Amino acid sequence: MAATERLLRLYPRAWRDRYGQEFLATIGNEPLGPQAAIDIVSGAIDAWLSADVRRTTMAQRVARTGGGSTMLKSIICEPKQGGVTIRDGLIGAVVMMGITLLFRALITAATNNDMASTASYLKGFVFPVAFTLSMPFWLMKGQPWKAQLVIVGGTLVLLVAVRYL
Amino acid sequence: MKTRDDQLGSLGRFSEPALYILISLADGPKHGYAMTEDIETVSGQKLGPGTLYGAIARLEARKWIEPLPAEDRRRPYKLTAAGEKVLRHRLEGLRAVARVGRARLAEA
Repeated sequence: MAATERLLRLYPRAWRDRYGQEFLATIGNEPLGPQAAIDIVSGAIDAWLSADVRRTTMAQRVARTGGGSTMLKSIICEPKQGGVTIRDGLIGAVVMMGITLLFRALITAATNNDMASTASYLKGFVFPVAFTLSMPFWLMKGQPWKAQLVIVGGTLVLLVAVRYL
Repeated sequence: MKTRDDQLGSLGRFSEPALYILISLADGPKHGYAMTEDIETVSGQKLGPGTLYGAIARLEARKWIEPLPAEDRRRPYKLTAAGEKVLRHRLEGLRAVARVGRARLAEA
């Protein structure tokens, strides 16, 4: 499988269905440089996080599969086709709250044990880590586990690296 | 009240690529590869595929461009009437800024 096609798998399925073929055709057979590879990975993160992009790709999916009950079905019970159901959103929120509480407990323990610098260090991670770890439960639900691992793992590594810079 | 210019600015880091795409489509429909080539010729900037399609999705969501039937694997896009208004407004704004800049340089 070409590098471009592997990178394309990082994008949400609905996005690939909508733009995948033309995306590959636009890149053509040109060798993929590091700058283009970084741009594609950034685009994948954007495709997961941008409400605009999700709106466009999901609208296309719903239009293709039919309206009415199909739309309701896609909202409520077809997360594997790229949609985020209310249930998925709630699970993601619970995971975020759980991780936030865990961090709160760690910060309190560090503070009580005169480890103020550790507590301060942990404080900077609470929201980004909670959000990133919740992503597989809602935003990335139904995507290949390798894509989830790359995006979640990569984001966590990047967060730690940024704190050290 | 938000102006159309503000709306293009609301695309954040995609506002400049989006402007280039609107300009590229101003003389007729183009698919992604043709847009990239045209934008590089006009502006000297080569848009990466992730940036290009991030901007296309945003423009499509706002109905400033619309897709045409795919030709082979390539899908052309065309500028809509709303997109043309946004582009005209943005270009007017840029012309005003350029005029002020040139005038100040002349004074210096």
